[in-house]
Amino acid sequence: MSSHAASASIDHHHDPSTSTGIPNKKLLMWAFLASDCMFFGVLIATHLVYRLHPPAGGLDPKAVFSVELTSFSTFILLMSSLMMALAVTAIQKGNVRSCRWSLLTTIFFGMIFLGCQVYEFQHFVVDKKMTLSNSLLGTTFYTLTGTHGCHVAIGVLWLTLMYVRSFKPGAGSAQRTWLSHQLLHALALLAFLGLCLKVTLGLVHAIQVEPSLGAAAGHFVKAEFLALAGALAALGACAWFARPRGPVAFGEANAIDVESMGLYWHFVDIVWIVIFTAVYLLEYL
Amino acid sequence: MDTTAKTAYLTKEDAVPVQPKLLAHPTAKTGLMSWLTTVDHKRIGFLYGVFALFFFLVGGVEALLIRAQLMYPNGTVLTAQMYNTMFTMHGTTMIFLAVMPLSAAFFNYIMPLQIGARDVAFPRLNAFSLWTFVAGAIVLNIGWVGPIFGVDGHNAPDAGWYGYSPLTSKQFTPGHSVDYWVMGLQLLGVASIAASLNFIVTIINMRAPGMTMMRLPVFTWMTLVTAFLIVLSFPAITIALVELMMDRNFGTVFFEVSGGGMPILWQHLFWVFGHPEVYILILPAMGIISEILPTFSRKPLFGYPIVVFSGACIGFLGFAVWSHHMFTTGMGTVATAAFALATMAIAVPTGVKIFNWIGTMWGGRLMMRTPMMFALGFVWMFMIGGFSGVMHSAAPADTQQNDSYFVIAHFHYVLIGGSIFALLAGIHYWFPLMFGRKVSEFWGKLSFWIIFVGFNVTFFPMHFLGLNGMPRRTFTYDPNLGWNTANYIASIGAFVLGLGIAVYFAVMIYTYYKGEKVGRDPWDGRTLEWSIPNPPPEYNFRVIPTVHARDAFWYEKNNREQIAAERAVAEKAEADHGGIHMPFSSIWPFVASCGLLIVGIGSTAFEAKWDVPGIHWKLGLSLLGGLVTLVGIYFWSLEGNEGYHLHLDKDGKPVKGHEQDHGHGKH
Amino acid sequence: MRLVPSFLVRAGQLLVAGASLLLLSGCDFNFWRMDGHQSTMIAEGPVARSQLNLFYVTCWVTLVIFILVGGVLAYTMWRFRARTEADERAEPPPQSHGNPLVEIGLIGASVLALVIIAVPTLTAIWYTYDVPEAEKKNAYEVTATGYQWWFKFEYPAEQAAVDAAGTKTPLVTGNELVIPAGRPVRINVRTVDVIHSFWVPKLGGKIDMIPNRANFFWLQADKPGYFWGQCAEYCGDSHAVMRFRVIALDEKDFAAWKEKQLGLARSVAAPATAVAAAAPVAALRAFKVNEVGVSEAFDRNPLEAWRAKQAVEKEENPALIAQGRELFAAKTCNACHSVRGHGAMGVQGPDLTHFGARTTVGAGLIENNPEQLRRWIRDPESVKPGNKMAKAYRDNKITLSDAEQVALTAYLLSLK
Repeated sequence: MSSHAASASIDHHHDPSTSTGIPNKKLLMWAFLASDCMFFGVLIATHLVYRLHPPAGGLDPKAVFSVELTSFSTFILLMSSLMMALAVTAIQKGNVRSCRWSLLTTIFFGMIFLGCQVYEFQHFVVDKKMTLSNSLLGTTFYTLTGTHGCHVAIGVLWLTLMYVRSFKPGAGSAQRTWLSHQLLHALALLAFLGLCLKVTLGLVHAIQVEPSLGAAAGHFVKAEFLALAGALAALGACAWFARPRGPVAFGEANAIDVESMGLYWHFVDIVWIVIFTAVYLLEYL
Repeated sequence: MDTTAKTAYLTKEDAVPVQPKLLAHPTAKTGLMSWLTTVDHKRIGFLYGVFALFFFLVGGVEALLIRAQLMYPNGTVLTAQMYNTMFTMHGTTMIFLAVMPLSAAFFNYIMPLQIGARDVAFPRLNAFSLWTFVAGAIVLNIGWVGPIFGVDGHNAPDAGWYGYSPLTSKQFTPGHSVDYWVMGLQLLGVASIAASLNFIVTIINMRAPGMTMMRLPVFTWMTLVTAFLIVLSFPAITIALVELMMDRNFGTVFFEVSGGGMPILWQHLFWVFGHPEVYILILPAMGIISEILPTFSRKPLFGYPIVVFSGACIGFLGFAVWSHHMFTTGMGTVATAAFALATMAIAVPTGVKIFNWIGTMWGGRLMMRTPMMFALGFVWMFMIGGFSGVMHSAAPADTQQNDSYFVIAHFHYVLIGGSIFALLAGIHYWFPLMFGRKVSEFWGKLSFWIIFVGFNVTFFPMHFLGLNGMPRRTFTYDPNLGWNTANYIASIGAFVLGLGIAVYFAVMIYTYYKGEKVGRDPWDGRTLEWSIPNPPPEYNFRVIPTVHARDAFWYEKNNREQIAAERAVAEKAEADHGGIHMPFSSIWPFVASCGLLIVGIGSTAFEAKWDVPGIHWKLGLSLLGGLVTLVGIYFWSLEGNEGYHLHLDKDGKPVKGHEQDHGHGKH
Repeated sequence: MRLVPSFLVRAGQLLVAGASLLLLSGCDFNFWRMDGHQSTMIAEGPVARSQLNLFYVTCWVTLVIFILVGGVLAYTMWRFRARTEADERAEPPPQSHGNPLVEIGLIGASVLALVIIAVPTLTAIWYTYDVPEAEKKNAYEVTATGYQWWFKFEYPAEQAAVDAAGTKTPLVTGNELVIPAGRPVRINVRTVDVIHSFWVPKLGGKIDMIPNRANFFWLQADKPGYFWGQCAEYCGDSHAVMRFRVIALDEKDFAAWKEKQLGLARSVAAPATAVAAAAPVAALRAFKVNEVGVSEAFDRNPLEAWRAKQAVEKEENPALIAQGRELFAAKTCNACHSVRGHGAMGVQGPDLTHFGARTTVGAGLIENNPEQLRRWIRDPESVKPGNKMAKAYRDNKITLSDAEQVALTAYLLSLK
């Protein structure tokens, strides 16, 4: 039976076990995304309604937004979609190694987007004095973009778990501890991502507050030393868990899992394009 | 090559070397664990039904208390606050905890059988929906600890089932009642959406060979339309509730007038959900009726394509009429006119259904069994409710009827005379299939007549009350307004109705244990669910049927030889392929739902202020619950979606020792 | 096939008949007349009439369809039912699947029926929306504001005196809206807290008072009259007892009423010697929970009762009134209520400047007479659960002795 998994004869565009030929998981994801469209639709509608009926003396979005940074992070998110598409193509050809690298790149880009968002929120709150509760703009803006950020974060978590899942040992392996390895591997990778985020934001902060690059470097090392060390340690752990250990139970048959996840990721990107247009770009018309 | 690909999708051949103990598949077939870990759509459907009927009784008691209070002018049975709690919880309970899950019980139990499937597309997701529904029901009702056990600041929700802002804000409803309401509805939303996604995939993808979309039984069609309505309308209320929750807990100003918020927005968001919700409640009922009438008329449904199309049309138009709940909010002439006309338009597909039901009976031979009695009661009562609905579409007249007892009469004719009658009919109709026993005709009809009379005595006078100016949601009224007699009669009727429901339940429970046993297909049914033994075996169909016509089982009964030959070939093919594939049970969906329950209680039952010690509980329990859910889902995914194979003997019993695991690399 | 044993049928019939007699004795079966104070079936103004006529259109159209469809359904049930066991066992009838022509015909017919409803609906939507153009100049404007749980009525065009110095402010009354009969009245509706809804069924349908939304509405009373109104949107604990009245007066009476309202509150000269009501005062009788507070006499001719309230009370006790006026300040009533000319400027509760001339207390709840008024100020919570005055009593620990209740009652009733 195990020969099924290895056979490269899966038709990725037609699943004969279903009435329509569309795999169940894919259909589920499409239906969910239809639902998610409504979620974002309502949030965007709330934001736009209040932009059309702004309260007297409300904040001016143009004075708050920095559209350059957001454009950059939008571009990064688009690129992550490209990497996601590459991951799907790779696994459909049974190329686990290439798929893993594409997944990691997608995660990396997703984290850059999240980092930009964290920086943006912090900048808006501290420098522009726009908080969740002090203005209607803050209320709708943070809720809408925050919900999208949550979607990206869930996507990153899912990508991470999928990446780790690709190391599950396959037939013939005698590993008794694969479950704990999976858990620790996932934790290590998540810790690495979280610490990287912290370190990067720390670096940006140091450059902003210090007059010279040298001072900034000193400030950065002092403030982020532990986080930096932790990130390196987590990276080491990830590399150790990812060392080659024989055949894995991950291959072409899992293409549908990666593809469903890809649908979700592309959707989150498309929603961001809509949000970017409706929330940011429309203000500059 | 075909079968290779099929296996790869059906059962992921993970071929894991050692399955850790933590991920061992539960094997209990009886006892509590078997129910907590079940992924069998029939058991899940049964549980949905049990919980729904329990909450139906709870909602019924709340209704009786309301009627007791209003029996006489200036009644003193309840305090004002308790009365407000009662009508809020009565509405919320009946809609979200009684009618919807009872419909879901039928979706789960009957729909896969009607399309010739062995289970739903995602059995564990199905279990997750069930348990999340239970979690939501608990959170919604947890506020009763206040009035019952005397815990200060904790009350059951009392801001109306529609929770109009700004009454639900922290300023006007301090306490925790609205928090329970918000979080309870959120969990119910998660459960409903997850279940609906499952039904959509199941109906579109799991049909037996030959079961084209235009051969689907109408009940299955209505399940599909309802599922789409849920998936597309629940997000509106979910987001509205998120905004309300943020207002109450994090100081946002979505509906805060002082910050520029507009409470009218809540009404739009709520009714964008709320009106499709009305069809979520009634379409399954129409589906059930469209099954019962043909069976007991011994004739196919009249105009099947147009019944299906009108159902879809109602679902579609249901999204375009929400503001007819808001004719008194000063929308302006154009918006009011547009929504009035759209509302009238929706009467056409609804009328079409009634015409087709009459057409189905015309020229048939009507067998007046209990399910048929309830179904005919449905048609009559739904007609009355539909006509008063058309009256509401005339917006200026509606400004007099809106929020009066006329509206109460209208929607109870639609929801009791409609949904509840149909669901009670459905229970009678499918009871022999589910339990192999049949309700006595005498007691069944007796309960029908008591319910029918009680219902009409309760709600018909309310038309007069409403036109005579009695507003809704009032705990008291003065005796000089001409409302005394009608209220008195309505209350008497309510107790008769309560008696009828009690008889109905007593009869059901008696029948479950002691009822007359019946064989396969007692009603001479027309659809596939009647082709299997009762109660149905866990694998449903010994052989997946091949469908040749719309009333698939009716065709089978008239073409026995052709079907027998086909069956033999199919059975051989399946046996060669490894036998009947069954999914493993799993505890992880239950664990994930438990996590949500912890979040639900933790995030609502404690103060949100930073200087109050409760905040630690709030944060701690919320995080803990989130973690439990995450772990549940993660292990659920690690467990993989393997199953095992059954081999059957001649009588359809699984052959012991031949239950093979697969997906473990043993073979 | 007889499924029901005959003795059971007979017993059942007896039981139902007996129970019905028992239950319905004492009911007057007049509810179908729908002639209550808040009946929507009695239109006393053009707006309500247009809504009622539309209702009749919808009613007749649906009734005709109901009789047609119901008749066919009843005939089908009678004609095609299996009457005998042989019937049930017989071969199934022909398996027909439908008839497109019949279906399309029925769809066409239903669309036609809806057009009959749609046309008057559209006409009425535009008619009831705002005062007709031709009468705009003649329209009288008021602003109604919802509070938890009472109504404030403001007359923006009428400037009332605030003090002897001649300061002016728009005229404000509470819970009783007095309008000129035979003239369109344009009502702006507002709210200070949650959503309320303004509804006087005999004059017109309801309009919601929604925060952050400037709604308006119009109505007109054909002739002088006294109309019952009630909040029609659930607004919290006391929603059921948030009521009000509309009093329509002819041109002359309205002018006289306005004239009086614009002046300061009536002051009763205190007697030179302080013969305060030192005599012990009997305690007020106990009231049942939710006890009715409107007498039948009042109910029979409310407009006359209203006119009677405009005159000074028959047995006034100036000493008592003076004591009450002092208590009004001492007990901090003036923090929430205003009495123009008596130094009370509160705005959270109803304006009481001419309170003695109103027919009801507690937002249209109980009659404004010494007994009921004393019942109200003694323990407002027992009359109207959850109301803000009861909360103010609790928060500020306000208690009133029997003598104080009587004095305050006398003072309030003197405010004509």
